[in-house]
Amino acid sequence: MKRTLIVGATLLLGVSAVWAQQDAAKETQTYMKGNGRNAGAISAMVKGEKPYDQATVDAALAQFEETAKKLPTLFPASMKGIKLEGDYSASPKIWEDKAGFDAKIASFAKVVGEAKGKIKDLDTLKATLPVIGKECGGCHETFRVKNS
Amino acid sequence: MLQRTISVLLLAALVAAGVYWWLSAPVVAAVGAAPAHTPDLANGEVMFNAGGCASCHAVPGQPDRLRLGGGVAIKSPFGTFYAPNISPDPNDGIGKWKDTDFVNAVMHGVSPDGQHYFPAFPYTSYQHARREDVLDLFAYLKTLPPVAGKARDHDVPFPFDIRRNIGIWKFLFLDGKPFVADAAKPSQWNRGAYLVNSFGHCAECHSPRNALGGIVSGQRFAGGPNPEGEGWVPNITQKKLGEWSAKDLAYFLKTGELPDGDSVGGAMTRVIKNISQLPEADLAAMADYIKSLPPVDGPTPPKRKPAS
Repeated sequence: MKRTLIVGATLLLGVSAVWAQQDAAKETQTYMKGNGRNAGAISAMVKGEKPYDQATVDAALAQFEETAKKLPTLFPASMKGIKLEGDYSASPKIWEDKAGFDAKIASFAKVVGEAKGKIKDLDTLKATLPVIGKECGGCHETFRVKNS
Repeated sequence: MLQRTISVLLLAALVAAGVYWWLSAPVVAAVGAAPAHTPDLANGEVMFNAGGCASCHAVPGQPDRLRLGGGVAIKSPFGTFYAPNISPDPNDGIGKWKDTDFVNAVMHGVSPDGQHYFPAFPYTSYQHARREDVLDLFAYLKTLPPVAGKARDHDVPFPFDIRRNIGIWKFLFLDGKPFVADAAKPSQWNRGAYLVNSFGHCAECHSPRNALGGIVSGQRFAGGPNPEGEGWVPNITQKKLGEWSAKDLAYFLKTGELPDGDSVGGAMTRVIKNISQLPEADLAAMADYIKSLPPVDGPTPPKRKPAS
């Protein structure tokens, strides 16, 4: 009986640990999807599909800024090696090259911070958005892996 | 009777050997037949970026994509290829090459000493380039820094290591047709068709291949398994990209950003690094052409393994 309990408890612990990781991962994915939606909304203006709208720009930048603040906590060591649902997973390089990863987050935060006062119209958006986009792509290139 | 059979067989073997030798011979452009050309370096740089030369030939593990010392490993079902040094170094690179050598290499897949190159070097697409553009590219490459050191030899097992066999492969899969503009289409579309099908060599990864490694022509641009190993290369015909506008495509080529705001992953990241350097008009032209690709069903990607 005792044995069954211990085995049961261990299993439960294991399962909840996996759940916790999936939760952390879900949170990350929610942030990233939000970023994507916002980036998509402002690139539509650069592409000329939508008129320039300051409120959309401000909302996007606010979301980027929140992500930058949150990013350092979104990848706990327990997430290493876990394959996520969806298209992508976190690369083990996040933990193997922690300094490099942190530098990327810092650089993203800096670029977003600088963009906040700068984007006032379509021209300034056209000039600044690629700089932000490079931060997204630059980090994904190294620290994100495609699920096969 | 037996003697007769043997002589017939011998004769047949001899004929087969002769045909093999004839078909597998490296074919190059005639020397001296071409007019002189004054190179345009700016155009050469455009071709360099359209061709994505740096993706394979830039020295890996360092940031400068103009140091073309080679060494990048290119995996394939036939072995691993190592991109050679194409910097202007006279000993290890292409510093001593003549115009004809370069044209034969890029457009015919034949080295200066008359050997076939493996088609990991996408001359199957580059053959559609204009000779003048190839010469401009050569002139541009010569302005880049020389890098000493040869890349290591290809790691290709028998029988794929027999270069003469590539001659047969070329006979099967190299169409040898120059790019011809479609007079019924606007010039921007034709520019895009040219860039995508020659230097851009998009179809090389975005098409399925048969058992011999040739592109399945009916499914050109319809995606397939990643020739370099893991994953799937997407279908870029309107079957898959129907919801993308031409503007989405051009913006994607410029920034690597997908219409849903995500940044692209996988091997395409390296492609964007080069393509994004092209003039906006060329990106718009490529987008225009890709948008016009009729929907074609490609092979079905395997079901994704469930997340662990």
